Amino acid sequence: MKFLVTKDLAHSKLLAYLMGSVVIAVLIYLVLDVVLHSYVVGSDIASIKSTLFGNTETFEEPILIDSLLLQVHIDFFMTLFALLILSSIYIRLYSKTSVMKVVVHTLFLFGLFAPVFLLMAYFWSEIFVYMWIVSFMLWHLMAFVLSLIIFKRLNFR
Amino acid sequence: MKNVSLYKIPIAYMLVYVVFILSTGIWLFLLSQGLNSSDGVMSTIMSIVNSPEPKSVHNFIEVAAPHMFAIGAMVFVVSHFMLFSTKILQKTSLIVSMLLFIFALLNIFSYSAITFGFLVSGWIKLLSISIFILLFLLMLLMVAVSL
Repeated sequence: MKFLVTKDLAHSKLLAYLMGSVVIAVLIYLVLDVVLHSYVVGSDIASIKSTLFGNTETFEEPILIDSLLLQVHIDFFMTLFALLILSSIYIRLYSKTSVMKVVVHTLFLFGLFAPVFLLMAYFWSEIFVYMWIVSFMLWHLMAFVLSLIIFKRLNFR
Repeated sequence: MKNVSLYKIPIAYMLVYVVFILSTGIWLFLLSQGLNSSDGVMSTIMSIVNSPEPKSVHNFIEVAAPHMFAIGAMVFVVSHFMLFSTKILQKTSLIVSMLLFIFALLNIFSYSAITFGFLVSGWIKLLSISIFILLFLLMLLMVAVSL
């Protein structure tokens, strides 16, 4: 992050290509992360509820807390690194815009709430399933759009 | 921090995320030691001291490999923000970050002493994880003070 702040690199072609490449990697990660969670937690409301709470009709047991907590633990780590990379590039390129602070705050908050809501759904109430879906999809969507916006501003010439 | 006020936002959130990562990490460790089946946290801690859960070499490597990378990267990322600090001495940051790396290694490899039969008690794992967590919280506090 220190290097991204250095003004001397403002017109560096190498840095533009490096930032473009890491943004592409983050974009692919975001898509694959949604696919991964659809496998681990579920791809629709019914399957998510079956995973978290079990299903008496199909004799399905709820997911073990060890497995869910491991996914949540990994989610915190991956989200942190993905958002640190995206936000530091975004701040570098869009520091003069007024919405920049709101976007960064919203992104980090949704990214933080998503795994917390998943645990709350497991322990307390079904309502948190919906809150998890909203926060999870919103931070992925926002990060995806942010990546595209970053890409647009990068000067590859 | 010098002239990087906007970067305070992701750095501040990083501190919160790291607290969540450490908390879920401790919770996972206690679960692996039988937190679900025992009476509570204290009895799980006592059981770690007296008779830690046996782990095969495969299980040990499975946990150690990702943690070597993840903890190393996380300690580096958090500690490197101290380069910008104007409130805390670089020497202090250096000592804390080096201790953090040493106790991270000790924390990861302490279970190998149990796995390979050098130790019967899990006190070394408990001690190393406790010091590692306390040092990490200290480092987070130092970054927070420097913001």
